[in-house]
Amino acid sequence: MKRHLTPAQFVDLAEGVQPESSLPHLATCEACRRDLADMRAMMSAADTAGAPEPSPLFWDHLSARVREAVAAVADEDARPRSWRERLLQPLVLVPSLAGAIAVALLAVLVPRAPLTTTLPSTPLSVAGNAVLPTASPSLPPLAPFGATDDPQLSLVAAVATAGEWDEMRDEVALATGGSSDAVAGALTADEQRALRRLLAEEMARPRALESRS
Amino acid sequence: MAVMSAREIPVADLDEQRLVDACLAGRAGAFDLVVERHRRAVYQLCYRFVGNHEDASDLSQDVFLRAYRGLGRFRGGSSLATWLYRIGVNACLNRVAAKKPITEDIDARQHVDTARESQVDRVLREERGVRVRAAIAQLPPKQRATLVLRMYQELSHEEIAGVLGSSVGAVKANFFHALGNLKKSLGSDEDLK
Repeated sequence: MKRHLTPAQFVDLAEGVQPESSLPHLATCEACRRDLADMRAMMSAADTAGAPEPSPLFWDHLSARVREAVAAVADEDARPRSWRERLLQPLVLVPSLAGAIAVALLAVLVPRAPLTTTLPSTPLSVAGNAVLPTASPSLPPLAPFGATDDPQLSLVAAVATAGEWDEMRDEVALATGGSSDAVAGALTADEQRALRRLLAEEMARPRALESRS
Repeated sequence: MAVMSAREIPVADLDEQRLVDACLAGRAGAFDLVVERHRRAVYQLCYRFVGNHEDASDLSQDVFLRAYRGLGRFRGGSSLATWLYRIGVNACLNRVAAKKPITEDIDARQHVDTARESQVDRVLREERGVRVRAAIAQLPPKQRATLVLRMYQELSHEEIAGVLGSSVGAVKANFFHALGNLKKSLGSDEDLK
């Protein structure tokens, strides 16, 4: 089977980079010789088709147009911008949007612990002694409220002082030996925000806690 | 002998990289000189791409404006001309993708040296030129870019590969097919062969 020349070989031959003698196939293949001749003819035709030369005045006109456009860009760059314009700049807007989307995805995709426990139907007392729930055997007994080694209170304090959601989530995840970790971990985002707010308000009143103990 | 700092050297005497640095430093007249040195080549590249003066003129301005904005990214890995061609080809490809080119009339005039040319020869040459340029304007964009950069801007295949972001083999293949398609378009024009 005859192997014809490749496009690269045709180009090298047509441009004189490669001598015809280096490719013996050419001497025996009429089709390749014809293609090479056509290619040279088209190069010659293209070569003679010079672009029309514009008026000599055009070059200064083009330079002036570019100068004006560049000056406009420089002025625009130097102009003080409002916060909205700054936000809408691609270099600011794109990372901001990407960050917002990442946070939203994180909030949706981070697996939540399923709520496996049921809240006691008996309201918890905030008096000195805790009311132990009797209807839910899966919940561990609560320590007396306000005890110095109460892990629930430690968790509440840690959550209330956590600066960020991630920090708060870690506090909840790391807390052990109580029901509040399971409950807090199973709350929705809105519930967690409300809890955080309530706890922060509560923790801002240390005297009230002290008076209870 | 005292060595002149770049600031003391007239912009016209600065080498390419120093001229770019002077532009970035906001030195007066530096970017004007870049435009002056490269405007003809940029315009011709654009003209060969879009086939008419109006679009070529607008595109040339656009190319220099993009160059001004992106000058900080010019690293000197290629010549400034090649870098401008890259911007020009991208601008032209965007333009031809968005708009069908308006090619010149058969009456378009070329200002070339015609002193030794008869009137008839000149008219014939101009008509041939218009037909060839119209055929080039019909080529697929990458083939057109390759043909223009090789035949008229006289870039090497390696430089074209750099401008188009492709391999040398792909450039040669595009060049080969561009000439083949040109032949198909101009096939009936015996006087062009």
